Amino acid sequence: MIWMGAILFITTTTWIGFEWSNRLANRPKHIRQVKNALQILEAEMMYSHLPLQEAFYTIQKQTPFPIHAFFDRLYKNMNYESKDFQVVWEKSLDAFMDISCLGKNEQEILRQFGQTLGKHDFLQQQKHIQLAASHLERELEAANEQYQRYGKMTKSLGILCGVFVVLLLL
Amino acid sequence: MDEISRLFPERLQKELNRILAHRWDTLQEIRLRLQQPIELIFNQTHEQLAHLVPDKHDFTHIIQQLSDYSLYRMEEELREGYMTIEGGHRVGLSGKVNTLHGSVKAIQYITFLNIRIAKQKVGTANKVISYLYQQGYVNTLIIGAPQTGKTTLIRDIARMISSGWKHIPSNKVGIIDERSEIAASIKGIPQHDVGARTDVMDACPKAEGMMMMIRSMSPEVLIVDEIGGQKDVDALMEALHAGVAVVCTVHGHSLEELKRRPGVQVLLEGRIFERFILLNRTAASGYTYTIYDANQRNLLTEKMGGYS
Repeated sequence: MIWMGAILFITTTTWIGFEWSNRLANRPKHIRQVKNALQILEAEMMYSHLPLQEAFYTIQKQTPFPIHAFFDRLYKNMNYESKDFQVVWEKSLDAFMDISCLGKNEQEILRQFGQTLGKHDFLQQQKHIQLAASHLERELEAANEQYQRYGKMTKSLGILCGVFVVLLLL
Repeated sequence: MDEISRLFPERLQKELNRILAHRWDTLQEIRLRLQQPIELIFNQTHEQLAHLVPDKHDFTHIIQQLSDYSLYRMEEELREGYMTIEGGHRVGLSGKVNTLHGSVKAIQYITFLNIRIAKQKVGTANKVISYLYQQGYVNTLIIGAPQTGKTTLIRDIARMISSGWKHIPSNKVGIIDERSEIAASIKGIPQHDVGARTDVMDACPKAEGMMMMIRSMSPEVLIVDEIGGQKDVDALMEALHAGVAVVCTVHGHSLEELKRRPGVQVLLEGRIFERFILLNRTAASGYTYTIYDANQRNLLTEKMGGYS
């Protein structure tokens, strides 16, 4: 009976450890996705002259989960959920934060970026996209470094914690 | 009037709908100025709505709605100072202008908006049209001061020519719409009914547009707005020699006044036009028109149909 409990406990902590490390691994991946999406947005704005909603539709078609879900929600809710674009953007961003592994910094970058979207002429708009992209680049480096440093450790930390507690209690 | 009320934020939208409930018909303009009461212009009167003062946030909202949340696409509109919205309504913009090498680049801070309600008056040309036809359409010059209904009339003439009337068959019509007022096109799609056999060259300089139209679309009747200046007159002559009937408008108060204007003089004296329609608008009698023949003899004076 005791052994059963011990094994269950260790499995749980191992799983938590893996999940943690997964998040660390996914964060740079998701930041890269956001950056790619911004690049598509820039192209659609500059070269195809698409209005935002149609641009969101194209991005949504070209991107993988979870960033796909973000733009899909934006596309579907513009002019529907609220006539105020800011509201739709923030709500979509909140929903996106729940399903992605992005951190607080990325959220803030995207939030501020949303405030500029569709309110400027080509040149300004392009600058804002590039600004957001370079902010994200910085976060990407930080996220990569964090993964390098803690990625493997968190994985083993899970098991070790489990084993440690089990040994203490036995 | 959904196309217009949808532009406003909820608060303003509710109030405007309440105030305008059954007065949309006589409404001509809605004028918005930042931090100033909204002004409504009706056919006869105007009103200030002291309790409706749009702030910066309201303006942002309206501009986002106007631009489909994509101001970057409005480059041309921001340079020209107006945009056409669904339904053919026009929104005039004003504010702080950015210049580049002395020419206007764009309006940067939009702080004044003028929403001009377009009302296509179908049937204005009902009576006029029979005077323009003598075994084929004749060259016609429509003369009027601003706001006398020139564009409204020429639009309806275009519609009637291209759809035919009574026993007269329809004709191919080409409209050169330099200021996008006749057809009020959005991305080339006319928002007003200009007839089924009508081709529109939108936002095209008149002189070039006329030649392009003749070369490429072979119209039987050309419709042109606001002739003026030597280049326009030259192009017009060319069109006439190509055997196309031309209906065009010109700014002016009377035939005598036009005869004194150097650019337009030629048109009157060269016996090019066989019909002149002089439009007038007075407080007493409303909108009236007078039709003259080539010898400038009065054929008919009448109240314009379709106006109240």
